[in-house]
Amino acid sequence: MSKILLVEDDEVMPKIISRILPEPEYQVDIAVNGKEAMQKLEANNYQYDLIITDIMMPYANGFEILSKVKSHDREKPIPVIIVSNAGNEDMIMEGFKLGVDDFLKKPIIPAELIIRVKRLLMKR
Amino acid sequence: MVGVIFQNIVFVYGLAMILVYAVLAILSNIGVRLFKKRSRFTDYSLLLDSPLTPGISVIAPAFNEGVTIISNVRSLLTLNYTKFEVIIVNDGSTDDTLEKLIHEFQLVEVEFAYNERIITRPVKRIFKSTNIAYEKLLVIDKVNGKSKADASNAGINAAAFPYFLCTDVDCILEKDTLLRMIHPFMAEQQQQTKEVGEPCPECGFVHVEEDSMRVIASGATLRIVNSSEVDEGVMVRERPPSRYLPRFQEMEYIRAYVLGKMGWSMINAVPNVSGGLGLFDKDVAIKAGGYDHQSFAEDMDIVTRMCGYMLDNKLKYSIRYIPTTQCWTEGPPNMKIFSRQRTRWGRGLAEIVTIHRNLIFNPRYKRLGMIVLPYSLFFEFLAPIVEALGIIFYIYLILTNQVNWEYAKILLIFIYLYSIMITTLAICWDQLTYPYYRTAREVVGLSLMALLEPIFYHPLIVFFALRGYFYFLIGKKTSWGNMQRQGFRPKQTT
Amino acid sequence: MNTTFSDIWQEIRYFYFNAPLAIQIAMVFIVIAVSATVIAYLVILRSRYRSYRRTKQLQKLLPKIDDLLINEILANPDIPQDVHPSKIDLPLAPFESLPLQKRWARVAMTERIIHFRSNVKGNAGALLRNLYLQLDLDKDAARRLKSPRWDNKVRALSEYVSLELPISDVTLLPLANSRNRELRAAARQAYIKLSKNEPFKFFDSVTDPLLPWDQVELFRIITTTEDIAIPNFARWITYSTNKSVIAFCLKLVVHYNQIAAVPAIIKLLDNRDHYLRGDAINALGKLRVKEAEDKLVQLYNTQPMFCQVEILKALGRTNSGKYVDFLRNEFTHATEFDLRKAAARSIARNSGRAREVMEELLATTTGQDLLILKHCMNPLIKY
Repeated sequence: MSKILLVEDDEVMPKIISRILPEPEYQVDIAVNGKEAMQKLEANNYQYDLIITDIMMPYANGFEILSKVKSHDREKPIPVIIVSNAGNEDMIMEGFKLGVDDFLKKPIIPAELIIRVKRLLMKR
Repeated sequence: MVGVIFQNIVFVYGLAMILVYAVLAILSNIGVRLFKKRSRFTDYSLLLDSPLTPGISVIAPAFNEGVTIISNVRSLLTLNYTKFEVIIVNDGSTDDTLEKLIHEFQLVEVEFAYNERIITRPVKRIFKSTNIAYEKLLVIDKVNGKSKADASNAGINAAAFPYFLCTDVDCILEKDTLLRMIHPFMAEQQQQTKEVGEPCPECGFVHVEEDSMRVIASGATLRIVNSSEVDEGVMVRERPPSRYLPRFQEMEYIRAYVLGKMGWSMINAVPNVSGGLGLFDKDVAIKAGGYDHQSFAEDMDIVTRMCGYMLDNKLKYSIRYIPTTQCWTEGPPNMKIFSRQRTRWGRGLAEIVTIHRNLIFNPRYKRLGMIVLPYSLFFEFLAPIVEALGIIFYIYLILTNQVNWEYAKILLIFIYLYSIMITTLAICWDQLTYPYYRTAREVVGLSLMALLEPIFYHPLIVFFALRGYFYFLIGKKTSWGNMQRQGFRPKQTT
Repeated sequence: MNTTFSDIWQEIRYFYFNAPLAIQIAMVFIVIAVSATVIAYLVILRSRYRSYRRTKQLQKLLPKIDDLLINEILANPDIPQDVHPSKIDLPLAPFESLPLQKRWARVAMTERIIHFRSNVKGNAGALLRNLYLQLDLDKDAARRLKSPRWDNKVRALSEYVSLELPISDVTLLPLANSRNRELRAAARQAYIKLSKNEPFKFFDSVTDPLLPWDQVELFRIITTTEDIAIPNFARWITYSTNKSVIAFCLKLVVHYNQIAAVPAIIKLLDNRDHYLRGDAINALGKLRVKEAEDKLVQLYNTQPMFCQVEILKALGRTNSGKYVDFLRNEFTHATEFDLRKAAARSIARNSGRAREVMEELLATTTGQDLLILKHCMNPLIKY
């Protein structure tokens, strides 16, 4: 079973993602803002196999979460996918500089997300 | 004889004021409805991934804000926008504001090419974060200039983008503030260029000038945050202030923004953009000289000078307001701070009408000279004086037993009811913009304050304004001092 | 009772007609003020009640819609994957449980479908569009398009665009010439997105300026429409008489990296309009046209400041190393801060010989110039 943290302040996306990544194969934990995401990370001692995050959210944006996750365990960092509707060149650059593993722009193709998730989980 | 003339002047004056308010109420209603129509099909989030999005520098001066600085900066950094930077100007704080910033955001001092186009007190150091996640943050540490204006100017000098948003570090901004406030700049009609004069001898080209209506500033409604629940710089639950003094202010703010500024915006005659929240064209602001650090009303002053600059150079300009509330600011919670604030405002207004007296009724300055400044002079500056004189005159009449009590009662009732109507309409337009507050009870509770306002709140305003004028006349040196922060009520879990 | 009321009324009338003008006006306004206040309260309460009821209704409806959309459409194993989504007959029966006979529910459904489509595309997006059509939700949009109110028309058009519904040119063209600017802009977008034959036709005919906001909307439409044939924008850069169209086409050329349009852009350098020239220089830089460098440097001295800044930036972007000395010269001799900064940035961006120049400058300059150099070299500072 793979444990995934999904950070997203829109209400529709989590519904879709938790459906296309179903239990028992996946366990999707949802945080609706940056603060909740940080709390979940701390509470679970960073025991996630993958993090899917939006960029623009209250309290802390996706980049902060990304940087926190990547600096927590530099040896074997948790893979992070950004799924965001903001995706100009600067932001994508910023994401990759911080070590994001994949950058998907909304609207996404569900099948594509599944493949990318599987690939990243396999590498791990 | 003098009495009759005075009575007539007051009558005409009163009537004019009543008409102005009626016109504003109508205009702002049109404005609010147009805004609502537009926002039904305007997708502001388009700006989030467009390469055509203009950049905005968010400038927030901070003086001894150590208690809340981290969450407030974090909240500014999470605004919904892509191309922006957040410039925090530490105005010589004596507490740990700067240390907290350095520690939390992993700042290091950088060698920054700072171009001092507006002269300010010296800038000591400039910091950037080593963490790419905070690459939008820039922190300036400068010598205290004893004014917000001086600190804002330093921020403007360091700003990289063509627009800047001026705010206070303790203001709570809505997430979509930048998206919404930049929209008027991009959707102003009449964008064109014109060709002027003979071909230039040097380059052989006919020079082309901009002839567009250029939006030089935009603003939005502000409200009082005092009784709302705020969690780490994020608005959780809005409420009208529970205490009377801030609650009166909230009502006054709604009237000033939703009815006043919105109405003026419709005829492109906005007198000022609030110091708590305003988006400006940086180029024009710099050419107009930036904020005046000696002014007691630096927000109105800069707008007047920016307009003056545009008119002097024969450029068309506009200032636009949007009716939605984008910013919650802390209102003075007690009489002491409140009196200081209003006295300062009164003094600032007196300053403005004196400094810019050459522009008043000067047809060269079009709307600024013929509408905006005369309005400020007659209905904002003179109103407290006329009112005070009126009361004195009335007392004289009573003492000499010349009052027709029947008529006096009717006039009084009329003024009382009219002021209630204007305030209620303002709250009504505000509610039509968006159903602010969670319950109708809260709205009615706020609206009912209109009944008390003329009796309790208004006399205070008049008194403090007069005191401000008096200080202005004798040139008293006052220290503005910093508003004591109450700190936000922590979010309650029930 | 009646007598007392009419007595009072009589008395008021008597009082009114014997009062001076000021008092009469005041009395009239008292009536106006009281009625306006009462009406305002009623409007507030009504609008609060409505929004309260609507929120309640939506709170119940939206989760149902979401479940149906996900279970019946997006993740329904019965929907064949190999058939084109527009040819599938979707299971509509479960949707009958929704109160779609009510207009507010249809509006909510439509908005939700559009919201879903802003989250998912591809096959899933096409299925959602198909659902919208099979539920006959497009009838509302069609009716709204015929409404006399311009804002209804604009709303309908944006619905057509976001769901890619076909619309005939005959309906669209009159709207594209409407006197209302916002309607005009919306009709143009719809034309680009939905017209079968010549989506960019209106570029030829548009005379009023495309506002920056229009450009943002158009840019999004053009770059996200998948089956659109992108023309060579040089055509409008050369022939259009509308400056905003030219400026907009320059941005599109950069986005699509249309090298074929370069000669047209170079010609634009002789244009009289400084703003347009500035845009052209900017585009050449972003396209990294090394061949334009000679011309840009040759033009340099006759340009206004902001064009000079653009030229310096462009030389940094093209990065040929040919004009490093020119940049150094500008950096050391220009009096304007912005020029020096732009020159320094461009030196810092250039590779090859620019490194030596940079080393040399760092060793020889002092004061603000040195700060500018260090500013431009610092990876932490982006602008």
